[in-house]
Amino acid sequence: MGNKTTIPSATRLTKWLVSGPPLLFLLLLVAAPGMITVLASFRYPGEFGGLAPLVAADPQTLQGVTLETYRFFFSDFIYAEVFVKSLFMALATTLICLLMAYPLALLIAHSPKKSRNLMVLLVVLPFTSNFLIGIYAWMIILGPQSALSQMLNGMLHLFGIAPVHLLFSPFAVLVALVYAHLPFMVLPLYTNLEKHDPALLDAAQDLGANAWQRFWRVTFPLSQPGIFAGSALVFIPVLGMFAIPELLGGTGDMLVGNLIKEQFLGTRDWPFGSTLSILLTVAVLLIVWLAVRLGGRGGRYA
Amino acid sequence: MIRPILFLLLFIGHAQAADVLHLYNWNNYISDVTIARFETQCACRVVQDYYSDNEEMLAKLAAGATGYDLIVPTGNAVESLVRQRALRPLDKSQLPKLNNIDPAYLNTAFDPGNKYSVPYAYTLTLIGYNSARLRELNIPVDSWAAIFEPRHLEKLKGRVTVLDSQRELLAAALKYLGYSANDTIEAHWKQARDLIVRAKPYWAAFNASSYIKELTVGNIWLVHGYSSDIFQADIDAQNAQRGFRIVAAIPKEGAVLALDSMVLHKSGPRPDLAHRFIDFMLEGRNAAELTNLIGSGNPNLDARQYIQPEIAQNPAVFPDKTQQVKLEMLRDLDRHQRRVLSRIWTEIKLR
Repeated sequence: MGNKTTIPSATRLTKWLVSGPPLLFLLLLVAAPGMITVLASFRYPGEFGGLAPLVAADPQTLQGVTLETYRFFFSDFIYAEVFVKSLFMALATTLICLLMAYPLALLIAHSPKKSRNLMVLLVVLPFTSNFLIGIYAWMIILGPQSALSQMLNGMLHLFGIAPVHLLFSPFAVLVALVYAHLPFMVLPLYTNLEKHDPALLDAAQDLGANAWQRFWRVTFPLSQPGIFAGSALVFIPVLGMFAIPELLGGTGDMLVGNLIKEQFLGTRDWPFGSTLSILLTVAVLLIVWLAVRLGGRGGRYA
Repeated sequence: MIRPILFLLLFIGHAQAADVLHLYNWNNYISDVTIARFETQCACRVVQDYYSDNEEMLAKLAAGATGYDLIVPTGNAVESLVRQRALRPLDKSQLPKLNNIDPAYLNTAFDPGNKYSVPYAYTLTLIGYNSARLRELNIPVDSWAAIFEPRHLEKLKGRVTVLDSQRELLAAALKYLGYSANDTIEAHWKQARDLIVRAKPYWAAFNASSYIKELTVGNIWLVHGYSSDIFQADIDAQNAQRGFRIVAAIPKEGAVLALDSMVLHKSGPRPDLAHRFIDFMLEGRNAAELTNLIGSGNPNLDARQYIQPEIAQNPAVFPDKTQQVKLEMLRDLDRHQRRVLSRIWTEIKLR
């Protein structure tokens, strides 16, 4: 009996020691700021940025709590439109990343063990240079005087089509979003695919499955956790991205990240910025929940 | 390797004991030569901290940054700081050279009687263009029509950028429509929005930073931008021997003038040094160095004689009297107006 009580308490201590730092991290850097954002969304904006006081001695000054930011959001379709547009952009980025990353991850997972590490290193190599430098490089690559633009427009000219501008367009934004997030899709997929037991494929082959069937009935269902992890790692940061649309976007490329940033820096409207952030978080959670439910229904293969 | 570090530490220790002026300034907004001269004159050290827009500076101060003796905000930010009671009143007995400033830039709406601020430099928001291209296309550049009218823009599709700034772009549109840049009537804002939305398909981007480079390279031919940026683009284009010039022009409908002024922050420990610095910057030679460096407008009458003739004769840097009366400084908007403008801006971006 004595033994039984000491062991759990010791393990409990270890559990606390191990989970303590991440828990603290989550409380201090996720839960607390989240709460502050929620509270801020019910306040009035301060005259010079920040928030209007909750209670002020002077009854003339704006004070207290309000629902006006939420009313303002729902009073016009325009903000919902920005959300929908951003969701589509994030979805497109995720799909393109998935299509590009899957064959690559498969290739790495099927290469000889020796070269795998090198290949993974090559995948993460872009991280060694600053992300903004990469974006500026894209500005040069897509600029009207670049070889790419000139070649493309030369070809279009042959078919009598008017020249196109690659830079400052939704296309440029999409290209850079994929560029910046591709490794986040490759790595989880690779770690998943690498663990697959080759014996399963051999068994499938012995049972008469062709290459496509082996992929679609065995590899793909088994890789679903990797797909989910990678998609989440791409989809969620893209929704909050504001630097890429700002640098590469044209006159219509405003995403919700830009909108939120503008509330804090340009408009000095913290409560409305907070409201937008909260609604974005809610939207993301809803989507993830939906994806998990849909995925759970369809994913009972292997 | 260690010795220089030790030396540096010694040096820092020494300097901290000496007199230090803390200057919170825009990026690249004073010549090193000027700083060095002041340092020898006052036997002190100038420590600079930088910001790249007023909102950033205000946000940093609002978050509790202290210890700045001097700040160089734009008019509406001065107004904001005055109302927050964050500034120290000037002691004009310590500023004998204050009468070097052109009276046109004194006694502004944001600081009547100049109780808190001394004009430092100004920037105009105007039209900048590639001289060769626009001459070729025969587009008049003396009006905002070049930016807003489809009949001109048709020839410039994808070669135009406008500032990614709600206030500045709205001001340009309001000016073109014949209203004040500080007009706050919502119906007028909507008219301006429609004007912008109509012109937008022809513009390449809303851009507040990389348009300098794009002008220099020759990708962009016409911009709505800041006079100092256009000056920079021109210098770069000349250095790269591009064979064209980047020219700035004030539209006849008028434009926005942003006057940056030196103010004393309350948290600054050395108002004495700050006053000395302001009076030093009021000397024509010192004030002129900034204009020669970045092509900024100069409110100092004594500085004119030291300014390079090409800049001094540039009407987009030193507008004549008829143009001067059409220039307007932007006033701060209240919270409701800011929110409405932000929604109009979102509509502009989405349409």
